[in-house]
Amino acid sequence: MKGQQAVRLQSNQERHSMKQALLLKDLIRDRWLYLILLPGLLYFVVFKYVPMFGLIMAFEHYQPHLGFLNSPWAGFKHFERFFTEPQFWMLFRNTILLAIYNLVFFFPLPIILALMLNEVRQKLFKRFAQTLLYLPHFVSWVVAVGIFYILFTTEGGIVNEFIARLGFEKIPFMLSEDWFRTMIVSQSIWKEAGWGTIIFLAALAGVDLQLYEAARMDGAGRWRQLWHITLPAIRSTIVILFILRLGSFLDTGFEHIFLMLNSMNREVGEVFDTYVYMKGLTQGQYSYSAAVGLFKSLVGLVLVLGANWAAKKFGEEGIY
Amino acid sequence: MLAEQKQWSSRLFTIVNYSLLILVSIFTVVPFLYIVSVSFAASEEVAKGGLLLFPSKFTLGAYKYIFSTDTMLRGILISIYVTVFGTLINLILTSLTAYPLAKAGLRGRRLFLLMILVTMLFSGGIIPTYFVVKAFGMINTYWSLMIPTAISAFNLIVLKNFFQQIPDSLEDSAKIDGANDLGVLFRIVLPLSMPAMATFGLFYAVGHWNTFFNAVMYINDSEKFPVQVILRQIVLLSQDQIGDTTSQQDPTDYLPQTIRMASIVVATLPIVLVYPFLQKHFAKGVLLGSVKG
Amino acid sequence: MFRKRFMKGSVSLLAVAAVLAGCAGNGGPQTDKPAQQDGSKPLIVTIATPQVGEAPKKDSEVELAIEKYTNSKIDMQWIPGAAFEDKKNIMIASSDMPKAFKITSNATTLAAIQSGLFWEIGPLLQNYKNLSALDDYYYDNIKVDGKLYGLPLYRDTGRAGLVYRKDWFDELGLKLPVTLDDWYAMMKTMAEKDPNKNGEQDTYGLFLDKSFNDPAGSNTFLTRLAVSQGAPNKWGEENGKLIPEFMTTPYLNAMKLLRELYREKLINQDFSVVQAADADNKWNAGQAAIRVNTVASAAATSHENLKKTVPDSIVDVEPYIGPFGNRVPAEPGNNGFFVFPKSSVASEEELEQLLGFFDKLLDPEMSTLLTRGFEGKHYTKTADGKAELKDLSLFNLEVKPYRDSLPSFEVTGQGLPLKLSPLQEKGWEVVAGNLPNVVPNLALTLSSATYLEKGGELDTLIRDAQTKFIMGKMDEAGWLAEVDNWKKAGGDKVIEEYTAAYAKQKQ
Repeated sequence: MKGQQAVRLQSNQERHSMKQALLLKDLIRDRWLYLILLPGLLYFVVFKYVPMFGLIMAFEHYQPHLGFLNSPWAGFKHFERFFTEPQFWMLFRNTILLAIYNLVFFFPLPIILALMLNEVRQKLFKRFAQTLLYLPHFVSWVVAVGIFYILFTTEGGIVNEFIARLGFEKIPFMLSEDWFRTMIVSQSIWKEAGWGTIIFLAALAGVDLQLYEAARMDGAGRWRQLWHITLPAIRSTIVILFILRLGSFLDTGFEHIFLMLNSMNREVGEVFDTYVYMKGLTQGQYSYSAAVGLFKSLVGLVLVLGANWAAKKFGEEGIY
Repeated sequence: MLAEQKQWSSRLFTIVNYSLLILVSIFTVVPFLYIVSVSFAASEEVAKGGLLLFPSKFTLGAYKYIFSTDTMLRGILISIYVTVFGTLINLILTSLTAYPLAKAGLRGRRLFLLMILVTMLFSGGIIPTYFVVKAFGMINTYWSLMIPTAISAFNLIVLKNFFQQIPDSLEDSAKIDGANDLGVLFRIVLPLSMPAMATFGLFYAVGHWNTFFNAVMYINDSEKFPVQVILRQIVLLSQDQIGDTTSQQDPTDYLPQTIRMASIVVATLPIVLVYPFLQKHFAKGVLLGSVKG
Repeated sequence: MFRKRFMKGSVSLLAVAAVLAGCAGNGGPQTDKPAQQDGSKPLIVTIATPQVGEAPKKDSEVELAIEKYTNSKIDMQWIPGAAFEDKKNIMIASSDMPKAFKITSNATTLAAIQSGLFWEIGPLLQNYKNLSALDDYYYDNIKVDGKLYGLPLYRDTGRAGLVYRKDWFDELGLKLPVTLDDWYAMMKTMAEKDPNKNGEQDTYGLFLDKSFNDPAGSNTFLTRLAVSQGAPNKWGEENGKLIPEFMTTPYLNAMKLLRELYREKLINQDFSVVQAADADNKWNAGQAAIRVNTVASAAATSHENLKKTVPDSIVDVEPYIGPFGNRVPAEPGNNGFFVFPKSSVASEEELEQLLGFFDKLLDPEMSTLLTRGFEGKHYTKTADGKAELKDLSLFNLEVKPYRDSLPSFEVTGQGLPLKLSPLQEKGWEVVAGNLPNVVPNLALTLSSATYLEKGGELDTLIRDAQTKFIMGKMDEAGWLAEVDNWKKAGGDKVIEEYTAAYAKQKQ
């Protein structure tokens, strides 16, 4: 009996030390890798994790002059207030709807545009088109919204003049609840879709040209090449970007929406971001807006972890 | 017969594709044309409103005004400096960090990646970050515009993903030749990843060029402001000021639109010009073509 | 060549950065020792203020002249306006504050003042001849709980005036409107009678922009119009209670006028999204009869801007006259105020010296410098001893930032008088004439805990309802229901708290 136990003990110990030896071996093997990883990890610890103690303000009545350590404690009061706010469901609905619109209508467009550019054989045209497509990214929202106003206003805007000339009633695009989401999403598309192609074009640059040659030999048309070679080649990039996009699912782009909001569309236009701005910066309720921000982050975290898990289920690499 | 049909469908594909791209390009360029033409127009013409795409009279007045002092030029030089060195730091640190994380066998890899992912979602806010920057003595130095944004978690994760797609066989053969991990990274992986490096270099560079908020937070000396701070100030001064009582005589004496648009052109042109130079790295098939060749 | 120079510059910049990084880069104000004032040693004055236009260079000519006159060493920190509030919070949170900090009144400012972060200056004021000579309302309007903590950046209170196209009014035989019916008639005529004679209906009596009902300001058009018709300025007293303007009949009548104008398309249909700059463009292009989003003293500049497109136009300025005569809303009389942080101003002695510095800025010599610049460079002296600005763009570049950020009186100060054009003179006459007739905002210095917490939502609720009412999306019953909503959402409490605070103040 005793002997048997001793043997088992020994084998446990052995297994343990064997694991340790394996670990040590791996660590030694990858010593260079760990060495070059170190500065990056340090960066994240120092500039990202250390400042995270600031999240504590979501549970305090934070005042800048008192600091994080001396501001009075609030517990979950701000969260309770947020969830029982009369506007909560309006904000929730508006944010979610806009986020879904963005995901459905905006997210696929850079991919399609990139594929279209990828099919262009004429080099000069391709470069020219690419450069033009990127331009709007560099225009700030203040200016972009100003230009949209000039184009869409009912007072002599070119779009409404055209509609009037066709014999229809002018449409108050900027002042209408019905048009608000359409305007927001199409403005985002105008400004960022071209820029979004860059990352996919980089991924497309990695596709092996020989695959296309082989496919052509097999008599595959351009649609089939696109479907069977190009798309699979950038699939993992699409998946990664989709997962990362979910992390900022509830970020609807504060400045843009804030500039587009007015009395006539606030019912559908007010979102978490604009609400937090009003509370935080103009009314000094930092803790309250921090609590709302934390809520948004948590939602993002759940979505990202869920999507990553699902991606792995389907045999994708995922993020981690 | 079949081949002919194929050719036709291929041609149709091309025509539709080109026409769509031309259409989309026009949509994106019209607002830009507007900005440029207002910047060259006389303010009376701009006052009439509407979409001005070609001024009846060209004037350089707005540009002369902008360059009548050295503020804008100084801002541009500072931004170039921060962009060049900042992007260099970004690319070095990001690729050094991304490469080990692309190795499936690395112990602790998942933990590290999760840790980095979390920083994309949770942020402590401006004030605690300011304390960290201050603790390093970077306030009012250009370091404060480069170091706190040294790595973007987004770029890091996507770059890691790109690294993973490089076939292991290439790296293994280099290792057999006696190269260590560093050697593989610098001699095989990075040269193969030029499209990716160009992409993320561009992302980082544009990020640095557009730095506004951090500059206001970390830089106290207005002679050290980068170009976006100067641009925003001009844009701010040429819009809505009804609630403002800054000037006593006329609270609405903002700068004309022409100057606003000219500053946008001047502050945007340098970074837009970077792109065509990078474009050759986006060329198709660089990755495997160079290996096989 | 250029490239070489730049590379050199970069290297030296890098070196500077490295040095700064090495020595912890912290020459901030809090490390300065309080200046020992032994008669000759200059007082160190660090000032942080929102940036106005282009930031002047350090040790500019104006700065040196101020330093010489006041025996001080000035360090100005210009903070870009677009991120001022964030920067302010950072500076407060990290105690990196200057000796004099120009801020505006809002919730954070109030909390910081109430927590005793800044010196109280009220009792000291009497020792300074210039500061104490000014009218009390400048100081009363920024008191917190009855105490004075700030030195205001003085501004006029009764600035409203009607800047209008005299040529159009004369030609069409119109008089400036007095009653709301007059306003309606004027708007109808101006929109339909084609005053610019181009054959198109492209003119309006006035071009409204989205700030017409901004809850924050007493300088908005709707408040000016309503006050001229007898409404209170934002908050007034009725039966011993404080009530907001929008619960009064004259204000509702003014809203009804705009509603009717909108219905008949006599006013721009997109007013609730129009930026002030776009509205001004309509005036500048000669498409509006009255410029409403400005002040009386800007009549001359308004005319200058218009003359570029309509050279033979005639512009005049008159006070707002209603059924009760001249009646205009009082504006707060400041553009923010300087506070003196206890963390950087170490002793009461130093505080007194700093107040002395600001007092000297109002002396005739400094006043001339801040509002006119240097003789020969920015202005010339006329035969009758007045200053005539010589080079306006140079003035705007070198002097204006100081004029607008340090205490000064542009026209009514002790400096060399300015040579004014007849229209300018008339504009200032309107401002001066308004002064005895201003209607104060009774709630301006009162505090309401509910308003501090929910003011943003409450203001937005009413603002949206007003716009919807004017645009015909709701009727009068709908509007009254929204007012009820406002009351229930906290408005009743605000009324209660203001009324109590007002009663206490009157004691």
